[in-house]
Order: sequence, then C-alpha cells, then structure tokens
Amino acid sequence: MTLTRLLILRSIKERPLRMLLSSFGIILGVASILAIGVTNQAALESVTRLFADTSGKSSLIITSADSDGQGFNDNIMGRADRVAGIGVMAPSLSVTTVLAEELPPTEIAFSMFGMDQGGLSLMGIDPQVDGQVREYELVNGRFLSERLDDEEIVLVETFAIEQNLTLNDWVEITTPYGIDKLRLVGLIAEEGAGRQNNGAFGVVPLETLQKYFDRNRSLDQIDVVIDKPDASSADVQQLKNALQQALGTDYAVLFPASQGERVVQMLGNYQIGLNFLSGMALFVGAFLIYNAFSMTVVERTREFGMLRTVGMTRRQVTRQVMLEASVLGLIGSAIGIGLGIFLARGLSVVMEVVLGQDLSRIELPIDLVIISGLVGLIVTLFAAAIPAWQAGKISPLEALRIRGISKEGWFISDGWKVGIALLLVSTALLLWNPFPYDAQFRLGSVAVIALFFGGTFMIPSSVTYWERGMRGIMRRLYGNSGLIGSLNLERSKMRTTLTVAALMIGVSMMIVVWTMTESFKGDLEEWLDGYIGGDIYVTSSVNMRTDLWQRLQSVEGVQAVAPVRYFEVKWYTPDGAEEDGLFMAVEPLAYNEVTSFVFDQTDNGVSEEAALLEMEGGDTIFVSSVMAEKYGLSPGDSLELFTKTGKRPFVIGAVVVDFYNNGLVIDGSWADMRRHFRLNDANAYMVKVNEGISIDTVKADIDDLFGDRYHLIVESNLAIQERVNVLMDQAYSMFDILALIAMLVAFLGITNTLTMNVMERIREIGMLRSIGMSRGQVILMVLAEAGLMGVIGGVVGVIFGILLSRIFLLSMTAMSGYKLEFILPISRVVMGFLIAVIIAHIAAVFPANRAAKVDIMEAIHQD
Amino acid sequence: MSVLTAESLTRQYQLGGHVVNALAGVDFSVSEGEFVGIMGPSGSGKSTLLHLLGGLDKPSDGEITLAGNKLSLLNDKETTLVRRHNVGFVFQFYNLLPTLSAEENILLPILIDGKDGKQYQKRLDTVLKLVGLESRRSHKPDQLSGGEQQRVSIARAMITEPAIVLADEPTGNLDSKTGKIIMELLRRSCDELGQTIIVVTHDPRAAAYADRVVFLQDGVVASQIAFSELDDLAVRRQTVIDAMVELEA
Repeated sequence: MTLTRLLILRSIKERPLRMLLSSFGIILGVASILAIGVTNQAALESVTRLFADTSGKSSLIITSADSDGQGFNDNIMGRADRVAGIGVMAPSLSVTTVLAEELPPTEIAFSMFGMDQGGLSLMGIDPQVDGQVREYELVNGRFLSERLDDEEIVLVETFAIEQNLTLNDWVEITTPYGIDKLRLVGLIAEEGAGRQNNGAFGVVPLETLQKYFDRNRSLDQIDVVIDKPDASSADVQQLKNALQQALGTDYAVLFPASQGERVVQMLGNYQIGLNFLSGMALFVGAFLIYNAFSMTVVERTREFGMLRTVGMTRRQVTRQVMLEASVLGLIGSAIGIGLGIFLARGLSVVMEVVLGQDLSRIELPIDLVIISGLVGLIVTLFAAAIPAWQAGKISPLEALRIRGISKEGWFISDGWKVGIALLLVSTALLLWNPFPYDAQFRLGSVAVIALFFGGTFMIPSSVTYWERGMRGIMRRLYGNSGLIGSLNLERSKMRTTLTVAALMIGVSMMIVVWTMTESFKGDLEEWLDGYIGGDIYVTSSVNMRTDLWQRLQSVEGVQAVAPVRYFEVKWYTPDGAEEDGLFMAVEPLAYNEVTSFVFDQTDNGVSEEAALLEMEGGDTIFVSSVMAEKYGLSPGDSLELFTKTGKRPFVIGAVVVDFYNNGLVIDGSWADMRRHFRLNDANAYMVKVNEGISIDTVKADIDDLFGDRYHLIVESNLAIQERVNVLMDQAYSMFDILALIAMLVAFLGITNTLTMNVMERIREIGMLRSIGMSRGQVILMVLAEAGLMGVIGGVVGVIFGILLSRIFLLSMTAMSGYKLEFILPISRVVMGFLIAVIIAHIAAVFPANRAAKVDIMEAIHQD
Repeated sequence: MSVLTAESLTRQYQLGGHVVNALAGVDFSVSEGEFVGIMGPSGSGKSTLLHLLGGLDKPSDGEITLAGNKLSLLNDKETTLVRRHNVGFVFQFYNLLPTLSAEENILLPILIDGKDGKQYQKRLDTVLKLVGLESRRSHKPDQLSGGEQQRVSIARAMITEPAIVLADEPTGNLDSKTGKIIMELLRRSCDELGQTIIVVTHDPRAAAYADRVVFLQDGVVASQIAFSELDDLAVRRQTVIDAMVELEA
C-alpha cells in the first residue's frame, strides 16, 4: 500500500495537469455514453408515448378476419387468454349512431381506422380494464361504473356542450329498435380516446351497448397489452404470431393502426442511428483512455526503467500501471457520470423542442448510470492493459539513456495489415448484417468500433508519406520552424497515430451526421413532393365525403382537385404468400393534373398517358418500384388483392417510384376502390390553383367556405414543407451536438498529445532556444506539428466519414427496409476538413505557449 | 573473496546490418570491499560492461557470477530479484522520482521489495548521514542541487546494503567541486561501510579514488593499474592520465 500511495496517489496529486488530461478521456467517454444512452431512451420513450397518447396503449388488436361488420363472439377471449405474455385484454364494440333529435347522416361511412364515422361514435367497453388500454381524462362527473349492464354513458365534453347536454341528462340515441336512453354520468376531455371521431364520441358499458344494438356477446375488437413494460418490437411480433396461431385464420391479429409496421420501422431507424452513435461514443471513450495511458507509459519510460533497475519486477510495474488505471478510472467515471447527467439534461431539452413532448417526467435510469460507470472503469482497465504490459516490458536499460528510444513496434510496421482485415470484415458485417434481430444493434455497434480500429491501424504506416508529402507546404507556411515541426511528426508515430485517429473519428462522425441529415432530408423532400402534390393540401380529422370534391372544384381559382384515399390491403405474392400493403386510390386523370406519378416502367413501354387511361379503365394497378424489385413484378403481370368480394386479380399497368410506407404501395383507381373495396371517401384532397392566382387567397376561400363544416385543415404545400424542414432541422440539431462532442474529444486529444510532446521534449526545446530559436519560432514549430496532424486527421476523417455514411445508409436499409438515398454534402465535407485543421491549431495554442516559455537554463540541465 | 566475476564476456549488437563487437572477451573480477574504476575511450565498451555486470543486459557469450548467482542461469524475474537485493545503481542523470521526497526516493528499493520503510529507519539514517543530507530528507528533487540529487541516488543505491554498487559516470553531470564531493562520498562508503563499488568514468580525477583502475579498449581489457594505499590523489590522477595517453598512443 505504501508503494501504491507513493507511486500512484502521489503521482496523481503532484501532476494534476497530466492526470487531468489522462482522466479527461475517461470523463468524456463515460459522459457521452451516459448522455447518449439517456437521450436515446428518453427519445424512444417519448416517441412511443406520442403514439400511445393518440392510439391507446395496446400492443396488438384482435379483430375478425372478414370485414362483414358483425364482429365476433366474446368467447374468443378465453382462447386468447391462454397465450402467454398477455398483460391486459380489453374487449370493445363500436357502433355509429345519431342522437335522437339529430337528423341521420345521409351515409354512415365505412370505418377503417375507427375515427371517421361522422354522427356519434359509441364504444362499448369493460370499464374495469379499458383504462389500461385507452386514456380517458375525466373532466366532470364520474367514469362508468364497473357494472357492464348499467344504462349510462360518458361523453366528450365538447360534444356534450355542442348538444346542450349536462350531467345526469338522459341522452337519447337512435338504435335499430328506435330510441334508447342512457344517463350522462361523466364528461371526458377531447384527449386520448376522446379524440376519436373528432370528439363526437362516447363510452357505454359493453353489455348495455350489445343489448341496445342487438349485438349480444359480440365484439368488434380486443385490445391486447403485452405484459412486459419494456417490450421490444420483436417481443410484440412474437406475441402477435402466438396469438394468430392460437386464434386461427378467422381472426386477424394486427398492430394498432398508428403503431403499424411503418411506425415500428421508423422507430427502428431512429434507434439504429442512435445506437451507431452510442457505439461511436463508446469507441471514442475507450480510445481516449487508451491514448491517455499509452502516453503516460511513453512519458514515464525512464521512470519505469529506473524502477526496474532498482528491482521492480515486470509484474510489479504492470500492476502499478493497472492500479493507477483503476484509480483514474474510478475518479474519471465518477466525474464522467456527473458530466453525463448534465449533458443528458441538455440533450433532453433539445429533444423536448424536437418532439414537442415534455421529457421532464423522464428519470435518470439508475441502471444506465451504473452501466456507464462500469463501462468507464472496465474500458479504462482494458485500455490500460496494453500500455501496462508495455510498461512491464520496458528494459531497465531505458533508465540509463538520456531519452527513451521509441522502437518501431509491430503496430507501426505491420498494423496496416490488421487494419485492412478489420476494415473489410466489419464493412462486410455491416452490409451483410447476419445478426439476429435482438442483437443487431449491439453487434452492429461492435462492427462500427471494429471499423474505426481498422482505420486507426491504417494510420501509422502512412504517417511517413503524409509527412514527406506535406513537408514543403509546412515549410512554406511556417518557415524553417514548420520544417522541424513537420519532421517531429515522425518521431513518435504511435502518439501521432492516436491523435490523428481522435481527429479522424471526430471528423468522420461529423460527416456521418451531416450526410445522414442531408439524406433524410432529401428522402423526405422527394416523398413530400410526390405525396403532397398540388398547391394546397386539404385534410380533415374525419375522412371526407366525395361531395366535397365537387365543392372544392367550384371554388374560384381552383384548376383541379384530386382526391386521395389510403387504406390497408392484403395482397398475394406470385408464390401465394399473403402480404400487407397500402392501397392508394386516386382519380388517375385528376391526379395527373394536380401532381404526377414518377414512372419507372410501363407495360410494353406504352406512354404514361396510356397507362393512366388503363388505370382509369379499371382492374389495373400501379405498383411501386420497391415492390416490383422485391417480388419480381413487372408491368403486364397480374397481382391478386383481397377485396370485399374475395381474391381478385389486377393487371399491373406500370411500376412507379413511391417511398411511402417503405415503398409497399399499390396505386389504383377511385372507381376500383368504390367497386371492390366499397369505400367512397377521401383522406385528402390535393388542389391545384390556376396560374397567376394567389395560393393564399384560394386557401383562405376554401377555409371560409368549408373549413368548419367539414372540419378541414387547409394548408399550402409550401407551408407544410417549411414546417417539416423546421422539424427536421430541430431533430438533427441533436446529432449536431453529438458531432460537437466528437470534435471536443478530438480537440482535447490534440491538446493532450502536444502537451505531452512538449513535456517530453523540454530539453530539446531548451537546446533549440539556446542556439537561437525565438519563442515565436518555437510556437510555429508546435503549431506546424499540430497543423499537419489536422490535415491528416481531416483528410482521413472525411474519407472515412463518407465511407461510413454509405455503409450506415446501406446497413440501415438492410436492417429496417427503409431506403435512403446517399447525398454527399460537398460544402460540409470541405467544412469538416477545415474544422479539423482549425481545431488542431487552436488545440496547439496551450502546448505551444508552454513550449515557448521553457526556461533555457532549466531545460538543458533537466535530466 | 570475489563478489563479482566475469569470464570471457562478449556482447555483440546489430547496427545497420553490421555486427558490432561492444565487448570481445572480457575477464574481470571484483573482491569484496574493493573500489574499482573502469576507464577507456568512447566506444570502448565501458557502459556495456557495467550493464552486463548489473544484470541489465545479457551477454552474447560468457558468464557473470554476482554474489554467488550465475546470471546466465536466471530468468528475467530471478535476475530482477538478484538486482533488487544485491546491486545498487547510480546514474549520471540521478533518475529520481520527482514526486517523491529525498528519503522516499532512497527507500524506494525497500518499498518495491514489499517491506515497510519504517523498519529501515536506522539504515536510512545511516545512509542519510553518510551522504550528508539529514537536513534535506523531506525535500523533493526539484528543491535539491545536482550534487544533492546525486547523493540521494547514492543513498538509494546503498539502502539495501547491496553486494555491489555500480555507478555510471556519477560525476558526469556535475561541476568539479561537486564531483569531488561525490567521489569522496563513494570512497568513504567503501572505507567505512566496506561497500564494493565499480565506477565507470572517463574523468581521471574520479578514477583516482579507486583502488584499481581497469582500462578497456575495443571491447577488451587493455591494462590495469592497482594503487598503493600510500599514493596520494594527485599521483594517482597522473598515473591514470599517463596510462590513458599510453593507451591512446
């Protein structure tokens, strides 16, 4: 213990600067792991909650496989209950009715998502369990009693006010047998479940509703909540499969509409992105720690040599270094956790802005704190193991030399071979992605780390070439001091490598973040252009009946109006497998007038107009290029869709580019939708305005004329795009912060390296000063060395960043099926390089000043 | 009785594709309580010989017996232990740990051996008195002069009562006055404590303190001078200078 106290604790106490630089790596590493972890978790929880708020908390829903509107018998509950993994099952029955004094609507629309009926939508529920599936915010009175046959109702407050209903009033509703009465016992806010049917919504005890509508023991839907609170999408998928198997083909087990595959994939993508960054943070942290320790060993070569001459064994030396690592690891991790909490709070604020969600509810997960602290300590010990082993290998002869001889180790001479192997293997792994679903994030991150190691291993063998290539430029820029600085780079290749690698990681992280941002934006813009065509986009919280189509067309200044209706459809692959997709029904000619399909190929190369006419003619569909590629479909082929009248073949008239719903989109005509799917309402109307007419005027006119009546949301295409862009910018500002952390890490890495270089070369600097080098020249010498590191780190970082971005985008596509186009932001690439060079110079200011202030007499007499 | 013997020592190095014979067959022995100086021109193999004798380096051929241990038969760890218990080193550049006080630096070999420094207070006081640093015992190296730092390093070399102290140019970094103090100190430790010492030097004034001076040239022992106890320092120094001149001629 005495020896430990003297050699380690004293050393830490007496050399605070060096210790600070060493532990900064650990501090930053732990802090970034924790901050990114917390933010990652907070973001996911928040996005999940966003969906849960609007759609309920159910993981799955059970419905009848055939849409005859008659539901299914409630005895299915018993069968479903035998499946393991179910937490809650909430049965429900939905009916559409009108209040007795209200005129019945001309048409009660077919409900696809349970929120577009018009009239009054009533849901029969089991009050005991329903609260665990849907959110009800009671604002007045009480909720339904637990008896399933009480004749009472809870309505949305806004609807009750509109209908002049107050608590304890009798609510008269129209049923197939006339008029029945329910006592109004409570009012809920137009939030959560109350948002349904635009607030014209109420809940009634299940058995009462079954009795009134002659739907005895019949259910429309069972909402299922998985019993694991932190279930992954894989867990839900597993439960879905188990339920489907237990219930048979008469029942459909589905993801809730808003938690459909699209959302799962979207969340998946987001998580993959963040996990990659967590992996990088872990690498940077581990790397900094390794950097700090290997430098410590280099700096103290003579000290270790001396200890060996006075009888310290190799094992004792190694143990001392490892003990020092543990002490630094503990201190660094503790401070790192503090900084991480601080950073996480900052990142959470950004996330709040991005997601518009209150994240203050999110507690700091204690397990994550412990894990990041442990990672800091373990990584420190792991990273210190190699330098400790190297320290043990130091010959006692080193102590007798004035300067430690830096031997060209295996890493310097042959490391590039391992580097190439690591690069190839990790690239292949990331692209091929053979990992099982559960582990792919973690193993993907490991592959990313391996990729960085590969890059790092490649650096040392190239330092000589870089130095030779840049020597002339450095001499021109910095004079003869620049020449000496440039030559210094080769003196400690290991140290140069580690510093350049820190810069490389920082720059490549920036490039990855920027490229991914641009690609996401590009992808989004492309999608928006096609998806929201025309000049004005008209939507509503309820699906809109087609009479609005004619009315919109009659508005002054409107050139054309195109209705769009999306609905889910089952279709069959050429080998008979059943698949889910999205059907987009359009009026082909009107659609083409307002916006247009992006044709990929047509049947026998017929004109695009002819293809549209074919669709107009009926029984012809267009499929997306993604589907065509995935399932080997081409124009002229036939595709079977599951319609109201059973399986029905459709001719593929063309292949079009469409990324919506991950490209799993089938486009068909309005007439086909009405005929085969019995739907006749629109999700949206795209409006094209006559040239020369103000879009804003037309928009205002539409809003004035029909806004209230149809609950319309009228937006100009431009406004939507701007809003999306603002949202995107906010979302990616978080990634910018991560890039900033990476650059901060690189900055500290360079400061660390150069400070240690200066400390090690004090004698030499004293000698140079003694033979006439001015303080200014000393500064230039150090700056030149830093500048050259900046150039190498910048160039390699940019190349690596571009490579990584491509791999990330490709592997993200492989993992999630969501295809992103690679867009290289040239200006950002240049900026990344410049930032590397500038940061290198700024980081060198402190060590350069230190070098300039070296006292000549002291330095040349220093041992 | 010999504390140290070297038989037919050779040491070859690879240097830029050439084989350099740093030592080409050295036979050499040191008796207990003897003070031996090793001299020779640059590149004669002085430092190489010292490194081999101290077990810091391995000979290409030949055998060294140190305090009864045949070094060629020992592995790295055993050599380290022999060094720890039997050899004290004094370097030209002192090699003190800057973070430790003078007495902590002196006690370092004891601490490395896993022993409690407190049990060695008596020995510590003895060596501190010998080197004349009782009043500077708690000073850090940067608070000590070069000569004082070298005295600390001598004390460190002697704390374990080693069989032999090996000093590599101990006065090389000091002015002549301080160098004289250091050599007198080594001489005294030999005379008063019976310490066996080998000093590598190219300073005839330093060599004059030895009982015997061995001259190396081209990796072999070229000649030896043994002084009589009656010779004074000036005579000894002149004898060494004459021998050097003769050697270089």
